[in-house]
Amino acid sequence: MAELQLREAIRAAMVEEMERDESIFLMGEEVSEYNGAYKVSEGMLKQFGAKRVIDTPIAENGFAGLGIGAAMNGLRPIIEFMTWNFSMVAMDQLINNAAKVRYMSGGQFKFPIVFRGPNGAAGQLAATHNTSFESIFSTIPGLKVISISNPDDAKGLLKSAIRDDDPVLFMESEVMYGMKGEVSDAKDYLIPIGKARIAREGKDVTIIAHNKSYWVAMKAAEMLVQEGFDPEVIDPRTIRPLDMETILASVKKTNRCVIVDESNPFASIASEIGFQIQREAFDYLDAPVLRVNAKDVPAPYAKNLIEYYMPSAEDTYKACRQVMYAN
Amino acid sequence: MAIPVEMPKMSDTMEEGVLVAWLADEGAPVAAGDVIAQVETDKATMDLEVYDDGVLLKRVAGEGDSIPIGGLIAVLGKAGEDVSSVLARYGSGAPAAAKPAVEPAAEPAAVPAASGDGAAAPVAAPVGSAPNGRTKASPLARRMAQEHGVNLASVSGSGPDGRIVRRDIESLIGTSHPAAPVQEPVQQAVAQQPAPVAGAAYDAIPLSQMRKAISRRLSESKFTSPHFYLQIDVDMDGAVAFRQQLNELALSQDKQKVSYNDLITKACALALREHPYVNASYMENEGEIRLHNEVHVAIAVAIDEGLITPVVRNADNKGLSQIAAETRELAGKARDRKLQPHEFEGSTFSTSNLGMFGIENFTAIINPPNACILAIGGIRDVPVVKDGAIVPGKRMKLSLSCDHRVVDGATGAQFLNTVKQYLEQPMNMML
Repeated sequence: MAELQLREAIRAAMVEEMERDESIFLMGEEVSEYNGAYKVSEGMLKQFGAKRVIDTPIAENGFAGLGIGAAMNGLRPIIEFMTWNFSMVAMDQLINNAAKVRYMSGGQFKFPIVFRGPNGAAGQLAATHNTSFESIFSTIPGLKVISISNPDDAKGLLKSAIRDDDPVLFMESEVMYGMKGEVSDAKDYLIPIGKARIAREGKDVTIIAHNKSYWVAMKAAEMLVQEGFDPEVIDPRTIRPLDMETILASVKKTNRCVIVDESNPFASIASEIGFQIQREAFDYLDAPVLRVNAKDVPAPYAKNLIEYYMPSAEDTYKACRQVMYAN
Repeated sequence: MAIPVEMPKMSDTMEEGVLVAWLADEGAPVAAGDVIAQVETDKATMDLEVYDDGVLLKRVAGEGDSIPIGGLIAVLGKAGEDVSSVLARYGSGAPAAAKPAVEPAAEPAAVPAASGDGAAAPVAAPVGSAPNGRTKASPLARRMAQEHGVNLASVSGSGPDGRIVRRDIESLIGTSHPAAPVQEPVQQAVAQQPAPVAGAAYDAIPLSQMRKAISRRLSESKFTSPHFYLQIDVDMDGAVAFRQQLNELALSQDKQKVSYNDLITKACALALREHPYVNASYMENEGEIRLHNEVHVAIAVAIDEGLITPVVRNADNKGLSQIAAETRELAGKARDRKLQPHEFEGSTFSTSNLGMFGIENFTAIINPPNACILAIGGIRDVPVVKDGAIVPGKRMKLSLSCDHRVVDGATGAQFLNTVKQYLEQPMNMML
């Protein structure tokens, strides 16, 4: 085990895989000469050369398409979006090509491609730079969506994503790149895609949260523990496929659920999980499933407003008390 | 106009009935007073009559369906008449009709103040006020209540707007076990018999309406009325001789033989007259104690499905042979599940006799709203000391369970003593 920053864990995953398999290459804006906008790819140009660590123009539609073409021809690209907010320019490539060509070609093409980069809000970046997109991409069949909350999961899941033969969207967070944590240095450290992590076992309420929201949930859990409650916290880690088995087992145990999710509320990850819980565990529910999302507006710029906009530990704590009828 | 046939309330404690069998076919003409189906309540299987002439246009409920009071069972009308408006009025027309007949078009504010502002606002907005008397309970609480035979209508909810939640049921059934048993709940129609499964660890018997009613009422009684128990030993030598004489007479006059139970019923009835606080009910909601002016003695009768308490009305004014005849008839009806509500409701006191099973002594749970129940043991041949010598004697133990909210120790003891005196000097009952 080594203590690594999240950015170092992501880099370690890419480096290990690129050392193992020459068909893997990294492409994106500023990934090469500048060592990555967030220094995720620092030193990789030096190690692998300009043919495998490639700078692109500011043209997401173009380089996403290039990556898809490369994947169709047997290479295994990793495409970095400087932020998933910019992937909107490449939506046609992601939704109509990456997600569908394998299906529409009757399986003639494989799509071993990873699109990765930071997702969601990162402070005062205003409406077009602060959106959480995993719920939008998760509605598209054909795409796998991973959204990690810590360095160890980042490494184990990114390695699995790179080895996966389907397109995988890998969502990080700017504000977590500096976060440190113990990371396995085991050879071929692979965390399976589609398996949730029970971060804290408890019996009174299930809190489900991924990515940054996971830390919001953990803070709320601490507040609840101090009051004598025993919350269970689950990090789904992969949004699609979603590990409903683990979630349902937990809800059947606690009978109550709060989902924390940085997406805007309408048709969010929380909506989907909440729906599935009521369908599969209706007779186990003691209270309506509640969700704590970003507010239902574009992200504001002002510091006090962006803080209000984001799901908070305080809101999560209150929602948990509500579903436990502790008010 | 098509006419709906609803599930009637056939007894005080009835909440739903099971349609056991259809006796009329769809399309058949029926006249007011005709019996079209049989319905199992918590106490008996009864005939369902129609009050109008017409044609049975549609059987809405199926055999085995459980239908709440006021739920739709069938539709009558003129031949060929459209029944859809009636079905629509009662919901889908599905047999369950589990919803009350009048359902609001939409539940007000049924959704918690969801979305992003969820937790900041009072999230758990009311699930809906209950203008139609709907009981609000979480799905989990509903399931737990069903599994434990708890009547939700009798539970006061501690959730928002009175919603009944897990902790409310737990506090009733006295457990804080995890509320989520591993296996899925098995829902079975009440009337169905379980199919034995080869190699199964147990056979599951679905709770009958009667079993649910027994469980609910006895739990309520045991949990809410503070019981205390008094025991007394009765010398039955006189009663044995008296009964023998009486039955010789009855035989010669072709009258119903008198049992010990009949003697005890009569003794209790007379004693109740003398002790009005035993012939009483504690009415919590009304804030009063009722001293009943009539003496109606209920007699617990065991039947295959459970037990039921037919009532000998005005037992204090009836002769022994009349009590004997009535009791025989009621017990027979009880075993055939043919008792009508007026035959098992309205008791002011109850007795329970297990003597015939070799039970010497036991205590019974009060049958609400009675204040007391008398548990009767068997008559034993015992050695007794009489004039300094040990001689054979006949003894019987009686146990009186008393609701201490109405009956104090001395009151109960005096009553029991009076019963004892009547049984030891049975001729007194004739005076």
